[in-house]
Amino acid sequence: MAAVQEDGSSVTSSSHESSPWMRRSPGLGSPSPWIRELGSEERGLCLIRLLQECAVHVGTGSMENANLGLEHISHLASPDGDTMQRIAAYFTQALADRMLKGWPGLHKALNSTKLSSVSEEVLVQKLFFEFCPFLKVAYLITNQAIIEAMEGEKVVHIIDLYSIEPAQWINLLQMISARPEGPPHLKITGIHEQKGVLEQMALQLVEEADRLDIPFQFNPIVCKLENLDLESLGVKTGEALAVSSILKLHSLLATDDDMLRRDSPVALKNLQKVFHNRQRPLREFLDKDLINLYLASLDSTSTSSPLSLCASPKMESFLSSLWSLSPKLMVITEQEADHNGFTLMERVKKALNFYAALFDCLDSAVSRAPIERHKIEKMLFGEEIKNIIACEGAERKDRHEKLEKWISRLELAGFGRVPFSYYSRLQAGRLLQISNYGGYNFKEENGCFVICWKSIPLFSVSAWRRWSN
Amino acid sequence: MLENMAEEALPNGFVENPIAGSNPPASKKKRNQPGNPDPEAEVIALSPKTLMATNRFLCEICGKGFQRDQNLQLHRRGHNLPWKLKQRTSKEIRKRVYVCPEKSCVHHHASRALGDLTGIKKHFCRKHGEKKWKCEKCAKRYAVQSDWKAHSKTCGTREYKCDCGTIFSRRDSFITHRAFCDALAEETARLNAASNMSNAVANNINYHFMPTPLGPSMAQHFSSIFKPISSNEEAINQTTRGLSLWMGQGSSQGQESIGNNNLHGIHQLGSVSSGTIFGDPLVSCSNPPPSDYQLNWVFGTKLSSSNAEELTVSNSLPLTDVKEAGTQLLSVPSLYSTQHQSHQTPSANMSATALLQKAAQIGVTTTDPSFLGSFGLKCSDSQVRDGNKLCGVLYGTSNPILSTNIGNDVENSAGDLLQVHPAKRRHTMNEESGGGGQTRDFLGVGVQTICHPSSINGWI
Repeated sequence: MAAVQEDGSSVTSSSHESSPWMRRSPGLGSPSPWIRELGSEERGLCLIRLLQECAVHVGTGSMENANLGLEHISHLASPDGDTMQRIAAYFTQALADRMLKGWPGLHKALNSTKLSSVSEEVLVQKLFFEFCPFLKVAYLITNQAIIEAMEGEKVVHIIDLYSIEPAQWINLLQMISARPEGPPHLKITGIHEQKGVLEQMALQLVEEADRLDIPFQFNPIVCKLENLDLESLGVKTGEALAVSSILKLHSLLATDDDMLRRDSPVALKNLQKVFHNRQRPLREFLDKDLINLYLASLDSTSTSSPLSLCASPKMESFLSSLWSLSPKLMVITEQEADHNGFTLMERVKKALNFYAALFDCLDSAVSRAPIERHKIEKMLFGEEIKNIIACEGAERKDRHEKLEKWISRLELAGFGRVPFSYYSRLQAGRLLQISNYGGYNFKEENGCFVICWKSIPLFSVSAWRRWSN
Repeated sequence: MLENMAEEALPNGFVENPIAGSNPPASKKKRNQPGNPDPEAEVIALSPKTLMATNRFLCEICGKGFQRDQNLQLHRRGHNLPWKLKQRTSKEIRKRVYVCPEKSCVHHHASRALGDLTGIKKHFCRKHGEKKWKCEKCAKRYAVQSDWKAHSKTCGTREYKCDCGTIFSRRDSFITHRAFCDALAEETARLNAASNMSNAVANNINYHFMPTPLGPSMAQHFSSIFKPISSNEEAINQTTRGLSLWMGQGSSQGQESIGNNNLHGIHQLGSVSSGTIFGDPLVSCSNPPPSDYQLNWVFGTKLSSSNAEELTVSNSLPLTDVKEAGTQLLSVPSLYSTQHQSHQTPSANMSATALLQKAAQIGVTTTDPSFLGSFGLKCSDSQVRDGNKLCGVLYGTSNPILSTNIGNDVENSAGDLLQVHPAKRRHTMNEESGGGGQTRDFLGVGVQTICHPSSINGWI
C-alpha cells in the first residue's frame, strides 16, 4: 500500500483516488494545484524541511539541489502569507544571495543599481520602535540606569554608539530634568554613519533641552563604529561618562575570518590543495565555508563552549579603549541569539528560531495588511537575515551573540556588572504589560535583563562599569 | 547597596551617641543595628527547644516560671528577700547576644547575632517556624502572635482601591500602580477605537454611558477608560511623562493606521439586521457614512438626549438618528467586536515558533538527503512522481508506511492531522532513536552531524 509509485503512474490505484496530490498530474513547472491543497500547518512544516535541506545543499556546494530546493520553496513561500511563509521568503532570498556570491561579477551587477535611502532606514527603525516594545524597554532601562548612576553628578557625558532614535534621549532629558538636585550639564555624543540622521537628532534634542531648560550639548560624530577613535571624542576629566549601545556592538565582531585561519594546521593546506583544482569561482566561495566546517569538526571545543570566544581584534581594541575612558556606566542591549556560528547550518538553524519568534511577535502586534509590517520584515529583519546567511568575513556584521558570551567578553575586558534597580524592573515590567496584545515578559539572568516574547528570549540588556584594578 | 535598601527595609534603630568616647550611665544606651552586634558581647546559642520554651526564668524561691527576666525580678520583690539576696550577682552585666539555632540562617553566625532574646525568638518563629496565626479578613498567615495582632488591627482599615479592582494597603504602591493602570487603559482604548472616536468619547461621554446588557468585560473596559485620569505625584509625572512620550507617539501612529482600518471597517458596516450584529459585521454598505463627524455626532447627540436610556443591542437598534443619516452605525461595542473579528484570528494558523517545535518533534533531520534528493537528483525523471514524493515523504523519508498515513490524513482536515500525530511521532521517534542516538536539539539537527561526513566524501 505504498503511497508513492515508483513507475510514475499516479492515478491508478483506487485506494489513492482521494489523496489530493495524487489527482494532479502536472509537471514540475506547475505543482501549485497540489500545493494549494496543503493546509497551512503542513505547508509550514514542509517549508521548514525544505529550508533546512536547501541550506545543507548551499553549505555543501551542491548547487543543482539547492536550486531545486529554492524553486520548490518559491511555490510555498510568500512575503504576504502567514508567518512561516514570510520567514521562508526572506531566508530563501538570503540563501540565494549567498549562492550568487559565488559569481561575484553577477552579484555585483545585480546589486549595483540599488538605491539605499537614508530616510527609509530611519523610518524602519522608527516603525520597529513603535510596533514592538523591545526598543522602548531597552531605552527605559538604559535611561533609568544612567539616572541612577549619575546621581549627584554635575556634568554627564553620554556616548551613544548608534544614534538613530531621538525618543531615547528625549525621554532621558525629561527624566533628568525632574531630578531633585536639578539637572546636570548634559552632553550627548551621537555616532552614526549618516550626517542627516545626526542632524535630525540634534534638532530634536536641542529643542527638548531648551524647553526643559537643561544645559545641553550634542556632539555628532559621523563615522562607522569600527572606525571610531574613542580618544578623539573629547571626554574630559571630571565628567561622568556613560555609554549606551543598542543593538550595534556586535558589528565589531566582524572580522576577516580567513585571517584567523592563517596559522591553522597542515590539514588546511591539504584541503586547499584539493579545492584548488576547482576552477569555478562558485566553489571557491564555498570552500571557505567548508574549511570552517572541517576545522570546526576537528576542533571539539568550538562555538559551544562559552569560554572559547571568537577572537575579534576590533572588539578587543574597542573595549580596551572604552575601558581606558573609565566610564561610570555602560549599558549594552543586544539580540539574545547565537548567530555567529562558524558554519552556515548552525546559523540557519538558530536564525530560524530567533526570527520565527520575532515574526510571530510582529504578527501579533500588527495585522497582516499594513505596509508597515512588511517594511519592518523586509528592511529590518530581512536585511539582518541576509547578512547572517549570505555574508562572511568582515562583511557579516550581524553577529549576534548570547548574553553569556557578552558577559565573558566584557569581563575579560575589565568590566564588571552593575545590577539593575528594583525600580527599573518595575518600569520595564509595566511597560511590557501595557504593550499591544501582550505576550511579552522579561526575566533576569546573571543580573541582566532578558526581554522575551512568549517566554522566548529575544533581547538582553546588561549594565557595566569599569572594575578598578 | 541600593537594592538592599529597597528590598529589605533596614530599620533605623540606631541612635547616635553625641558624646563620643565616654559612656556615662545617664546617656541613652547605644543600640547596635540588628544583625551587627557589639563585638564585646557574650554570644549565647540556644537550642530551638530552649528558645521556644516559654518560661525560661525561674524564681528560685517558689519555682515559678516567667517569660522575661524583668517579670521575674518583679515577682521576686514580692518574696521580701533580705537585702543581700535581693541583689543580682555583682559582676558586671555583660551584654548578651543570641544566635539563631537554624544552621542555614544568616543570623546563625556570631558576627550576625541579634541582641535581644525576644527578638531572636520572634525571628526564629517568623523565618523558620510555621505560620499558625491566620488573619480572618485576608488570607495572611503569621508565625508570631504579636505580628498577627498588629496586622488584624490594620487589615481592611485603610485601603486604596484602583479602578481596575486591585487593592493596595500602601499609598506609594497604589499611586505607582494607578499611574500605569491609567496608561494601560488609555492605551487599549486608543488602540481599539478610531482616533476621533476616542476623542469624542473621552470628551463627551459621562460615566454612565455603559449599559448592562453588554458583556461584563466590555463594561469594565469602558468604565476604566472613562474615569478621569489624575495623578499629582512628581515621581509618577516623571515616568508618565517619559512613557507618555512613547505611548503618545506609538499610539498616535498606531492609531492612525489602525484608525484607518477601523474606519474602513466601519464604512463597510451597512444596514445589519439586529439579530446578526455580532454574527455578520462586515456587510457591504449601500450608503457610506458622509464623514467621520458622523461618529462624533452619534455619540454626542445620543448620549446627551438620553440620560437613562440604554443602548441595547439585542433586539432593536435605538439609533434612529443614525438611520436618518442613511447609515446604521452600530454602537461602540459591536464596532469593537467587528474590529476583532475583522482581524484575522491567528489561532487558525500555527505560529512559526510552534511549527518549528513541531518539526523538531517529528524528528526532521537535515542530513537525510533523500528528501530533496528524491526529486533533486532524479529530476530528469518524471516530474509527477517527484511532486508526489515531496509530500509523500514529508514526515519521514525512511518509512514508507508513514506516507500512507499522510495520504489518509490530508484528505481530512488539518485538525485530524493533529490527532494522528501522537502515533506518527512515536513511530518516527522509534525510528530515529535507533539511528545513532543523535542529540535531539531544537530542529532535530544533530550537533555532530552538521555536515554529514559522507556527503563531504562524496563531494570530494
